[in-house]
Amino acid sequence: MSFWRKMYGTAKLAVVSQFEYRINLFVDAVIQPLIGSLIEMAMWYAIFSSLGQLTLAGYTRDYYLVYALWASFFSRISANWMYEFRMIDEIESGKINGLLLRPISFYEYYLGQYLGYKSLTGVFSFLIPISVCLVVSSPVQLIRLPLAVSLLFYYVIFIHTVSFCIASLGFFFNKIHSVTIAKNISIWLLSGEIFPLDLVPDPYKKILLWLPFSSGVFVPTGYLTGRLQVSDVVLGFKSVSLGLCVSGLVAAIVWRQGRRVYSGTGA
Amino acid sequence: MPLIIETENLSRVFKSYKKPKGLLNSLKGFFSRQYESKIALAPTTLNIEGGQVIGLVGANGAGKTTLIKLLSGLISPSTGTSKVLGFNPNDRKNEYLKKISVLLGQKNQLWWDIAPVDSYDLLGKIYDIEAKEVDRRVEELAEIFSCTDQLQTQLRRLSLGERMKMEIIGALLHRPEVLFLDEPTIGLDIVAQNVIRNFIEQYMARYKPTIILTSHYMDDISRLSDRLLLISEGKIVYDGNVDEFTLRAETKQKLMIVLGSPTQEAMEFSGIGAISVGQKLIDLSVPAKGSGEVISRIAKFNVIQEIRIEESGFEEVIHEFLAKNVRHGKVGRGLTV
Repeated sequence: MSFWRKMYGTAKLAVVSQFEYRINLFVDAVIQPLIGSLIEMAMWYAIFSSLGQLTLAGYTRDYYLVYALWASFFSRISANWMYEFRMIDEIESGKINGLLLRPISFYEYYLGQYLGYKSLTGVFSFLIPISVCLVVSSPVQLIRLPLAVSLLFYYVIFIHTVSFCIASLGFFFNKIHSVTIAKNISIWLLSGEIFPLDLVPDPYKKILLWLPFSSGVFVPTGYLTGRLQVSDVVLGFKSVSLGLCVSGLVAAIVWRQGRRVYSGTGA
Repeated sequence: MPLIIETENLSRVFKSYKKPKGLLNSLKGFFSRQYESKIALAPTTLNIEGGQVIGLVGANGAGKTTLIKLLSGLISPSTGTSKVLGFNPNDRKNEYLKKISVLLGQKNQLWWDIAPVDSYDLLGKIYDIEAKEVDRRVEELAEIFSCTDQLQTQLRRLSLGERMKMEIIGALLHRPEVLFLDEPTIGLDIVAQNVIRNFIEQYMARYKPTIILTSHYMDDISRLSDRLLLISEGKIVYDGNVDEFTLRAETKQKLMIVLGSPTQEAMEFSGIGAISVGQKLIDLSVPAKGSGEVISRIAKFNVIQEIRIEESGFEEVIHEFLAKNVRHGKVGRGLTV
């Protein structure tokens, strides 16, 4: 009960804080993913125009356009760099002291905020692709949205654990923002944000699908847009579960060791 | 009174990277670095009873904050053990963290982007306090501080003094049994400092927590503390009663004597100063115990028209004591003044 009250409290904190800065929230939830979608859709439009053929790897242009539309929004919701930077800054500057002295863990505190913030932006963000799909005929099956979003939020917990792990390295090295950027660039490719992972030849495709990162963008977007089936989503849940176990174990070790060397900076 | 805080040879050593000047040394440091160890707190054994206000005093870098960080579980000790309310602070158990509170005067602990009422709501959830009870406690504390009007203003828009009041309310919301106050009046004007001091006195009288207080303002310490811990270069150099410290310290008095006519002879006072021929106004700083003798010697050769005596402030006494100990290298637990 206490855990859920804390989760609710921190999620509410994130929502209340975001509502204080309306323009920032609007740009983050709507404009940014919209720009991403438009760029990717323009890219696929150009590819099909220059190819002079109706299908690519068995899918028509509409499949790629609708994938580009949704992938950008899934990617924005699963991205955690903003909270990862905050966690790193808190450790580097010593602001974390205020949290370490309270009966809530750093992991819980940021997980609650991250989930709250993503729920808020998710509501605003998804209105755009949903509206487009209701107006324009597309291969999207909106009935699949709840399962796709469930996988996305399960993935969000995993990616938060990875972020926690990276942020905890701050106890040893202070400035580690470059690690976050390197991780983000890798995830663009591994998650299927730039292009659908089924374009990758076997056996690399299988490896990528087994990695949990594909559950952030490719699996939920592919399932929603008709490229993947329920079995692929189930595989996604399994790979994220495995990823959670591994990242959770590493995070616990790094955190514990990091706390030992921490000097309580700045207080 | 039961013992609330016990430490046994508690110490902390910090390791820091030394980088000599220059680009070449930066390049060398990229591949190989030299570290040096600094003792922030030498092995310290302490016993603190409940319901007291302990004034922890020392210069910057003396080890006050390190001791607070160790006792609150913020950092791990290099050696030794500690127990606060029967818990090992280093375990950072939620049961323990619910019983203590740390107010770091130089850091915001409430949330910058939201109004204090929203912060208190979150703190209520973190500390598992019913929402109605949170409202009741906030109302009670805000009334003592006369700051009810500011509770709904975003924290970042409040003045430093107002923010500190909000921070204190946040720190006391869960009624901690042990309260660590690290520079609660830093940067505040005299009026705001007094408001905070009055509040601490009232809160102490009502709830009787154990308070460990550090401050650079000696008025905070002399007015609020039952016991004084002086810390220098990581070691406790005085542990005792505040009044006793002032009595036993070699306090000085400032003597201003106006003579009836200019002096006709020079006088030398060992270790105090000299009076030259022709002076009418004499200004001397003398040990409190020796001021009578100085006055009677002067009275023998001239008519004293007026005498003004100023006592040294508590702050001067402490500074002099600490400076003397650093000069003489007299650091060690139990050292008396």
